[in-house]
Amino acid sequence: MPNNNEETNQEVTPGQAQLDSSLTQKIKYLQTLQSALHEHDDRQIYELIDKPRYDREVKKSRSTTKTQNLADLVANDHEQLSHYLSENLIDYLGKTYPFFYYDEVRNGEFDIYFGNWWDRRKFGKLDVLNVAFEFDETEYGKLKRSFELDALNQRYNTDNIAEISANSAQLQKLIDGQDERDHQKETLRQQLKEVSQKSTLPWDSGKVKEERQTIVDQLSKLADDDEEAINANKKIKENDEKILSLSKEDTILTYEKQSIQQRFEDFSHFESHNQSLYTDYLTSLIGKGQVNVDD
Amino acid sequence: MLMINENDPSTLSTSGRLLSYNNAVKEGLKIGQQFTELMDQLINTKDPKELVAAAQTLSVFELDSDYVTFPHQYNNADYYLVFMSRLLELHDQGEAITLDSHEDNQHLTQQISALGDLGVFAFVSANDNTGGVYYQDKVTGETLFYLNLKRRMMRINSSAITKLFIETYADKLEKEHLLSATDLLIAFGQALKADFGFDVDFNLLDTSNNEFYAFQTSNLSGEIVDKLFVAAASENYMLKHDKDGAVLELAPDLKLKIASHNATGGAAWGLYVSDEDQTVSWFKVLLEYPFLRKWYLENIDDLQIRSDNLVF
Repeated sequence: MPNNNEETNQEVTPGQAQLDSSLTQKIKYLQTLQSALHEHDDRQIYELIDKPRYDREVKKSRSTTKTQNLADLVANDHEQLSHYLSENLIDYLGKTYPFFYYDEVRNGEFDIYFGNWWDRRKFGKLDVLNVAFEFDETEYGKLKRSFELDALNQRYNTDNIAEISANSAQLQKLIDGQDERDHQKETLRQQLKEVSQKSTLPWDSGKVKEERQTIVDQLSKLADDDEEAINANKKIKENDEKILSLSKEDTILTYEKQSIQQRFEDFSHFESHNQSLYTDYLTSLIGKGQVNVDD
Repeated sequence: MLMINENDPSTLSTSGRLLSYNNAVKEGLKIGQQFTELMDQLINTKDPKELVAAAQTLSVFELDSDYVTFPHQYNNADYYLVFMSRLLELHDQGEAITLDSHEDNQHLTQQISALGDLGVFAFVSANDNTGGVYYQDKVTGETLFYLNLKRRMMRINSSAITKLFIETYADKLEKEHLLSATDLLIAFGQALKADFGFDVDFNLLDTSNNEFYAFQTSNLSGEIVDKLFVAAASENYMLKHDKDGAVLELAPDLKLKIASHNATGGAAWGLYVSDEDQTVSWFKVLLEYPFLRKWYLENIDDLQIRSDNLVF
């Protein structure tokens, strides 16, 4: 018969006491988290899921007291937490970064789009739980570079476009020079005929051969040009397509640059804002949880 | 009643033949009489219903008979020109066109005052066995619209409007003249709609916001939109991402939308032009914005606004 009498269980070992305290902490942790969720106290939720960071970056406390990492308890719930927390975070980001748009591709997982213009770029991901942008390195690098080039009054693809345009101009010249080449070929063929008809005295043969070769070489160079001219229109069209896609990229980068300038003046301010995003956001939430409950 | 076998003249007496001849002439004159009554009606009536009835009858009228022929006759299609002029006159737009009669070979042409000497218009038969006609510029051969009185329909031809008003006349005439010329076509279509319940497709001249201007291509390439994006940016307009394509705000109250669905939700690529008063058409936008005109014309094979393919 099971003994339900507490009296007989008085003897508590230190190990049991520790377990008991640990369980109590966990229960308390989960209860606090749950009530924070009920009260829409996002600040507290953030504090609970990453206490060390919160203490360091929001409370600015220097102590490095080791606390039990209870956040692991809800590791399985990150998707839902992220989905839940995104609502207020995205609202907040909308004010600071009006040019970012978010697409929840999976529950709690957000892609960032830069701008609302045609074919805007996918710019990275939003890490809701860590209140951080994870920018796509390539795209971010291009934008950073455009800011650097701005000082030189250049756009990201200016050099590239100039080079391709020069190539097209060259090709166009080749097309336009067709009549001229036809005329040259005619003359050279005539010369070749004349050379061939020259007396081939033994002591002249070397010289004649040489003369012939020069003409043949010239003709073959012209034939090469002719062939290139035949493909030139196609190449020019390909170049036009390349220029279009580069111009489009430049236009997008310009819009991105302008968006950042309008909001942050320059790229370094933008970067520093991104770095302090966690602190800024959570500070803005202090006191808000209670207010919402009163509503 | 005389019983005469007309197929066998030998059976007829002389008086019989004379009677027969006389009856045939009477019949021919009656037709002539009927014709002049219809002409009176076409030229003078103030009632739109009588006007269209006269035009419709005259457009298929056979004036000549075996015994009575008339050396001076207009083409059947010419009566459509009279009809058009008269209808516009009844709607106080008579000044906007002039009807010219060419006595030498007896035919009519029309000029649109706003176009000066540039266009000479006449109707030509569509040869579609339903009395359809095309309103054609004799100089370029472009047909601006199709008209069918019997089937009560009018269809504007987008390709001809583009060729004449956006390309050919564009650097010869002021914008407001081009607009008053197309306004005249609209007024004619509106009159047909209002007076006779015609089904009118104004095509790229339509100013209503829910008019879907369908592109020729059903599969618009991203590259063509990219071209517009870049061209617009260099004119300080931003082509924006839109849930169903892209949108360009040309003025606070003027939006151009590129959409992948038509007004009834069917899959198709085309444009919407929206403004509060619904007074702007794709045509007006083309006249107003050179960068859009350039984009449209450079990609015309894909972008040409579709016309009713049953008649064009």
